[in-house]
Amino acid sequence: MYDKLNEIREETLRRLNEAGDEKELEALGVSVLGRSGALTEILRGMGKLEKDERAKFGQTANLVKKELEDAISLRREKIAAAMQEKRFALEALDVTEPGVRKRPMGRLHPMTQTYRTIRDALVGMGFTTFDGPEVEYDEYNFTKLNLPKDHPARDMQDTFYVSERVVLRTHTSPCEARALLALEPPFRLVIPGRVFRVDEADASHSPVFMQMEGLVIDRNISLADLKGTIDAFVHAVFGEEVKTRFRPSYFPFTEPSAEVDISCTMCGGCGCRVCKGTGWLEIMGCGITNPHELENCGLDPREWSAFAFGLGVDRVASLRYGITHNRLQYENDARFLGQF
Amino acid sequence: MKLPLSWLKDYVEWNVTPEQLVEKLMWRGFEVASVETQMQEISGVVVGRIASLRRHENSDHLLVCAVDVGKGEPVQIVTGAPNVFEGALVPAALDGAKLAGGMSIKPTVMRGVQSLGMLCSGQELGLTEADYPGAGIHGILILEGERTPGQDIRQALGMDDVVFNIELTPNRADCQSVVGMCREAAAALGQTFREPAIKRVKGAGSAADYARVSVLNSELCPRYCARVVTDLNIAPSPAWMQKRLRAVGMRPINNIVDITNYVLVEYGHPMHAFDLACVKDGHIVVRNAHENEVVTTLDGKERPVSPETLLIADPEKGVGIAGVMGGLNSEITENTKATLFESAVFKGSNIRATTRSLRHTTDAAARFMKGVEPVNAMLALERAVELVDQLGAGKVVGDTIDVCAADTSERVVEADAAHINRILNTKIPAKDMADMLGSINIEAKAEGDTLVIRVPHYRVDIESGVEADWDIAEEVARIYGYYNIAPKLMEGSTFSGRVGEAFRDEDKLKDALAAQGLYEMYNYNFTGPAALEALRIPEGDEKRLAVKLLNPFGEDQSLMRTTLLPGMLDALARNLSRKTGHAAFFEIGNCHFDNNPDLPEERKLLGILLAGEGEDFFTLKGLIEEVCSRFYMEIEVAPGGGEYFQPGRKGVIHAGGEAVGELGALHPAVRKAWEIDCPAYYAELNVGELLPHKGATPTYKALPKFPKVARDIAIVVDESVTAKEARDVIEKARLKVVLDDISLFDVYRGQGIPAGKKSMAWSFTLRAEDHTLADEEIQTAVATLVRALQARLKAELRG
Repeated sequence: MYDKLNEIREETLRRLNEAGDEKELEALGVSVLGRSGALTEILRGMGKLEKDERAKFGQTANLVKKELEDAISLRREKIAAAMQEKRFALEALDVTEPGVRKRPMGRLHPMTQTYRTIRDALVGMGFTTFDGPEVEYDEYNFTKLNLPKDHPARDMQDTFYVSERVVLRTHTSPCEARALLALEPPFRLVIPGRVFRVDEADASHSPVFMQMEGLVIDRNISLADLKGTIDAFVHAVFGEEVKTRFRPSYFPFTEPSAEVDISCTMCGGCGCRVCKGTGWLEIMGCGITNPHELENCGLDPREWSAFAFGLGVDRVASLRYGITHNRLQYENDARFLGQF
Repeated sequence: MKLPLSWLKDYVEWNVTPEQLVEKLMWRGFEVASVETQMQEISGVVVGRIASLRRHENSDHLLVCAVDVGKGEPVQIVTGAPNVFEGALVPAALDGAKLAGGMSIKPTVMRGVQSLGMLCSGQELGLTEADYPGAGIHGILILEGERTPGQDIRQALGMDDVVFNIELTPNRADCQSVVGMCREAAAALGQTFREPAIKRVKGAGSAADYARVSVLNSELCPRYCARVVTDLNIAPSPAWMQKRLRAVGMRPINNIVDITNYVLVEYGHPMHAFDLACVKDGHIVVRNAHENEVVTTLDGKERPVSPETLLIADPEKGVGIAGVMGGLNSEITENTKATLFESAVFKGSNIRATTRSLRHTTDAAARFMKGVEPVNAMLALERAVELVDQLGAGKVVGDTIDVCAADTSERVVEADAAHINRILNTKIPAKDMADMLGSINIEAKAEGDTLVIRVPHYRVDIESGVEADWDIAEEVARIYGYYNIAPKLMEGSTFSGRVGEAFRDEDKLKDALAAQGLYEMYNYNFTGPAALEALRIPEGDEKRLAVKLLNPFGEDQSLMRTTLLPGMLDALARNLSRKTGHAAFFEIGNCHFDNNPDLPEERKLLGILLAGEGEDFFTLKGLIEEVCSRFYMEIEVAPGGGEYFQPGRKGVIHAGGEAVGELGALHPAVRKAWEIDCPAYYAELNVGELLPHKGATPTYKALPKFPKVARDIAIVVDESVTAKEARDVIEKARLKVVLDDISLFDVYRGQGIPAGKKSMAWSFTLRAEDHTLADEEIQTAVATLVRALQARLKAELRG
């Protein structure tokens, strides 16, 4: 009987390895362990044995049974794993095929993205947003800003007129006058908005463009504060490695005034087509607020001091994205807009 | 302004390169836009004398010239230009020469005859008629006067100067002159400015015997200086003067005109010379024009002038428009015997008004508008007569006529050095500041912390009073060097910056629109009457209340937009014709309505434009609903809307019961006007009216603990029953269970449905807060809904 048991064990283990799938394995299990299986038969014939012998054989037979059960279960897992592997192989994808874009994103205009970057940099420095009308009184656009009628500097900005006293604002600076009249100093403002000049559209000009103005008023504001603020702001928008250069200039609403250049964002300052070989890009105008402007807005320039700066968002966007012609920003060609 | 290096050298010791000067001027606030070397491209071109010429044996239009180029043996050059002749002095480009536009010259054989170079036209040398007489003609440039063959052509033409093009800021009108600019250049280079000394010509006799001047409006003409010159000898001006005038882009005419131009460039003061014989009684009257007066100006044009215009007249007639242009009737001609040189100050604002009403401006007018100054007027006049004397152009008569109402006394201003140091955040001693000012010829003395400054007559930009601190701070800063002022971060008050609510909402709105797949547009704010007409906007509609520009680019850009549609349609049409593959856009921008006596009403509008496959009225509506959901806001659409929509496919958008916009399919006539072939859908919402209806920050609602069951019902109703009516009935039905997720998933007309009726299929879910619904509860709820629909809408349950 022991021989028979051993034979069954070995036969089963051998056939186990031959079983290729779940079905064959199931059949094998039934033929050995099933109700009329070989092992079951042997256990059934055990009754003929002596009591002692029976107990001993029974123990051995149960061990074999357990062993075979375990072996079948192990084999079952192996087969299942192999089956799965096969299925996986069949289901394998070419992952380089293109993604399916069910809900393609739209795009924000490069100017919007640039405006937000600039604005957020300034908000991080304590500036708060401020707004004013696009169609504006001459009074705010010019006179209050130390540009009385017939001031020669009015020629710097060719103006669209609506009437004797109403213009399309030529800069965001009228909001300075509005803020200085309406708010209690000290404050720091960032003023974005559309402005208008009688300029035919070309590579770098547009009759409509977006400007951003910064205004800080406090006690003891100096040219050094202006330089430090603009440096910090330029680094936030263009990167830490970008250098600034302040050149003396003139604006009616500031004195002293400066033009700010940054080291060319295209070539890093070595000289290229974008910076016309100079290594520098003119980026904004700024200065200490002219005492006349403060006086015109009811503030004592001995008590309060201020600085202001203004830059073209279109221009910054062009530099940021390497846009070669300003007109592209107002043509709204989807192939252009889709790039940003 | 143009500053020739040769002229600069008269006043400044030159020991740097042009590039170094450019850099130094930049740090002083003078931007040099370009440095031009005259005839920079040209090399290897010399003066040639045509020693002899003959017809080409194989051509009837070519000439073979033997040209003396100063090398002994003449060179043979073939030319096709018929204007050469024996003895002519011409530009000869020899082997290896470079001409305008990068053309280079090599020996060649022309129809069997060797040509060792090329004879040049003015154009081939990059010259125009203004640069040299004859340069504009078609043919070889024939040089005037005596020249040495072999001389470099640039020297021969006097076109070898370096010219700095300086962009001046409007506050420095004094630098609109060679003298003023050289003063700054000398200081920038650390040199002493060699102040020009004018030798006053005393002259013989008295001007009063020839002329007198009456100024009837001294407000518009604060100073009028004049000198008389007799025995005029009108002739070309000398080469050195012509060379300098050409270098600054002026065309030499004759000695008298050239002198006024020369002084204009040198001193920045415009002058005029009248033929004294044409001024009745030699009496100059400076007065306003009479009603309906007409002056014929030097350019031969009859110009009607208004009483606001200041004229230079004699007792009978106008002889010039003050500060703008002289009259034809008193022009200097070759027969002029005696002249009156005028050097006057005219009020800039009046000159500006005059040029505006004449629609004509001149160099002289531009100077007056920038501002001229009375002391300089006299200097310029004395310089002019000095040149007359020097050139032998006439006899200078004694005495200067000077009608002066202007204050020409020296101004002394005080500035507070401590305040200047606060403005700049520097610690510059007052004494050093005084020295710095001295370096630009401003005499200043430090008395403690006070700077006492004698303002030179030409520095009209330096104000008296408290503002002087800022003016002097600017001077000190640019001399000290902006780069020497160390940047620092602001101290004092602290601020927490904020993005205001309207700005934040606009960000969020744009993000939501982009998330729906729209591309953002930026269009110009201009439109025109034709566009409004094409949009079928009726007369009297508020969209016709567009703000008009007084000086637009053209009719089609003469109005400020009252709707975003025209610009967006332009861009859509471009995208369709270029097949860019995208036709879903939005724009947020301001529109203006001229409905207000003060400033026009400014409305921030949102426009959404969709076209192409898959888009319809309801994709647009759904998009707006989705975007509004971002603001916890629901919209409703009722029939209605503007004329640019197709009737029956348009609606008014309501939020919180208020009309906030419109949407619809664009009218075929509108699409046709923009050549858009496919259906297009547009919505325009007033952002300022929409966003106030945004919902509050939501409060969390507990998630359902018991399952919901989905049901749907199809009902047949009259065509007139709207989806909103049906939905209202379903929503308001009194049920004992919770009704959610109501949705109209199908509307069907056709087979099986009687004419004039439609089938609506609604789905919804039912649940209870505290238990799982039993079948009977569900059946009761559905039955209640059906009954309500039957009762309120005469609906029938569909089979």
